[in-house]
Amino acid sequence: MNYFAGIDIGSTAIKIAIVDENRKLVGHKISASGSMFYKYAKQALKEMLDELNIDEKNLVYRVATGYGRKLFKEADENISEITANAMGAMAAADGKCNIKTIINIGGQDSKAISLDDEGNVVNFAMNDRCAAGTGKFLDVVAMNLEIEVDELGEYHFKSQGTPLAINSTCAVFAESEIIGLLGNDHSVEDIVAGVHYSIAKRIIKLLKRVGINEGIYFDGGPALNSGLVNAIENELGKKIFIPEFPQITTSYGAAILALESYEFENKI
Amino acid sequence: MTEHKIETPKERLNRHKAMEASAVLEKIKHDYKEPPRAMEYFYDLYERVHCKHESLHSDKAKVGTMCIQVPSEIIYALDAVPLRLCNGFYTDDEIGSDFLPSKSCPLVKATVGQFVSNNFSDKPDVIISPTTCDQKAKSGAIIESMGFSVYDMEFPRTKESHESREYWRRSVRKFTKDLSENLNTKLSKKKLKESIQKIGYAQHLYHKLNILRKNTASPILGKDMFLVTNAFFFDKIDSWIDAMKKLLEECEEMVEAKVNAASKMSPRIVYTGSPPIFPNLKIPLLIELCDAIIVADETCSSNRMFNDMVSVDEWFINDMIDSIADRYLKGCTCPIFTKNDDRKRRILDLVKDYKADGVVYQAFAGCQVYEMEQRSVLEAMQKAGVPILYIESDYSPSQSGQLTTRIEAFVESLKNRKRRQQ
Repeated sequence: MNYFAGIDIGSTAIKIAIVDENRKLVGHKISASGSMFYKYAKQALKEMLDELNIDEKNLVYRVATGYGRKLFKEADENISEITANAMGAMAAADGKCNIKTIINIGGQDSKAISLDDEGNVVNFAMNDRCAAGTGKFLDVVAMNLEIEVDELGEYHFKSQGTPLAINSTCAVFAESEIIGLLGNDHSVEDIVAGVHYSIAKRIIKLLKRVGINEGIYFDGGPALNSGLVNAIENELGKKIFIPEFPQITTSYGAAILALESYEFENKI
Repeated sequence: MTEHKIETPKERLNRHKAMEASAVLEKIKHDYKEPPRAMEYFYDLYERVHCKHESLHSDKAKVGTMCIQVPSEIIYALDAVPLRLCNGFYTDDEIGSDFLPSKSCPLVKATVGQFVSNNFSDKPDVIISPTTCDQKAKSGAIIESMGFSVYDMEFPRTKESHESREYWRRSVRKFTKDLSENLNTKLSKKKLKESIQKIGYAQHLYHKLNILRKNTASPILGKDMFLVTNAFFFDKIDSWIDAMKKLLEECEEMVEAKVNAASKMSPRIVYTGSPPIFPNLKIPLLIELCDAIIVADETCSSNRMFNDMVSVDEWFINDMIDSIADRYLKGCTCPIFTKNDDRKRRILDLVKDYKADGVVYQAFAGCQVYEMEQRSVLEAMQKAGVPILYIESDYSPSQSGQLTTRIEAFVESLKNRKRRQQ
């Protein structure tokens, strides 16, 4: 059996997805990007193959994506994360959601992508201001509140009062805003809800630039945060679709492309 | 992942407004020296109306007013409540932006925005739109097209001539007649006299409190004064008067005890230009965070509302109505008037009377009359040797970085000047 790898090298994490000849996702892995992207990516891929008991010979095509994609020398091909994200989303939704709009929040940027009926990218927008409202931002928030990032969702739903507005668009200034709110004895719950709503509002602005069409899919690590999902749904007034493994959509798309490229080149 | 109910559009909007309002209240309550205890009433009022969306006037007919020129005396005399619709919410500004040119004034956009969402704690039964500035006059028609009842109250653009005075008096008489028909209430001499006296009393209290601000140790910061005057837009007048009496009493004691709301070297500022309306108190809040104190203002959301009292010669209905008309025309220093030397005169008087060190002039981006008039005001101030800072701003909450630096620099220059003079 031949296998195909998608390697998404992001600012925070390296995501690897492997599919087989039947487009089936046979494995995925997430590891920290750390300081040496290339070394860690290579290492992660090797570990992945070992875990899955796949002989390196059988890994016939590799596609790298993400902002560190050019650093991965073994890649047979490179693909932008926009295209990879769209392809991966279509595969991950597997017909359960007719995706027209993708929200992707990564470690250091956020994106809105709109797709046509065939799943082609029609338009996309990226945040133009630093790390405001990204995964990194959530990390900083959790650190300041002395809680774990995974707990943010839980705190969000425990909020009793008005969610507190965080108006700074810059993560550094937002940090001091949050410290100020803590100083005034506000509950961590209300602050967390406020942070989620401020990110959600920013995401809606981004979405409006590409047009919001029914069939909204949300991925990237922050999609695991149910509080943030709730805030985005409330801001949209619509349900959104979250895939089973939101972090690996882009690498999944890259793996699908690897398969398609291989089939095309070898005229299978 | 757990399933959660999605908010309705109305719930969402109310949350947005509550978040915006509570963020500003938060600042007002905690970021400054301790305010007079009597301010609690006002903080609580804003929380009730703007965070909890409580209705205050469910038992009365409500007359929405789009500008300061609509005489409240007549509305109260007809047993109705005036509700000023001038809006300071960024949330509504964004909604209104879809209906007006992008370069319009945020106050007008926010006012229209509130009608688009049709979400009021107290919904006006009829809207009075005085033809003051173009943007307000034209947005009256937009609001009407959304299915609201809008009454255009004709207003002259000059105030010096006999013709404009006569024209406006006729407008006010016609307004009185039309509103009384609309509300199906007859105007009585007694009621009109009572309401003139009641508003006169409210003004009297405001003036007394204002005089206390002339003291070198002013008992109250400008940010709190804006809250107090903004509350007059929508509060029950009797409750407002009661709260004002308590505040006045406390401030009198504070003056006696030489309590200073600012610090010794804080420059004293006269504030003018586009009106700070809750929750957009951005510029006043920044000024007072930079260790200055606003001791007086020339804006239609505060001082200008209370400027002159209605002065009646004879307590007959027509005489009262004419006197009301005069007070709303002659006393007004809105930049829509041409010429408008009155405004410059008033700012200079305020600077002198309140021993101010400088003037801050805010114009909302898109408010043409304030933008245009800044040049002549700047010249007049420079001629009189009064330092002035001109700031263009809007309702966006994230803009404060650069503004802080500018205001800080201005306040520091005033402090240096003060030091040198001593």
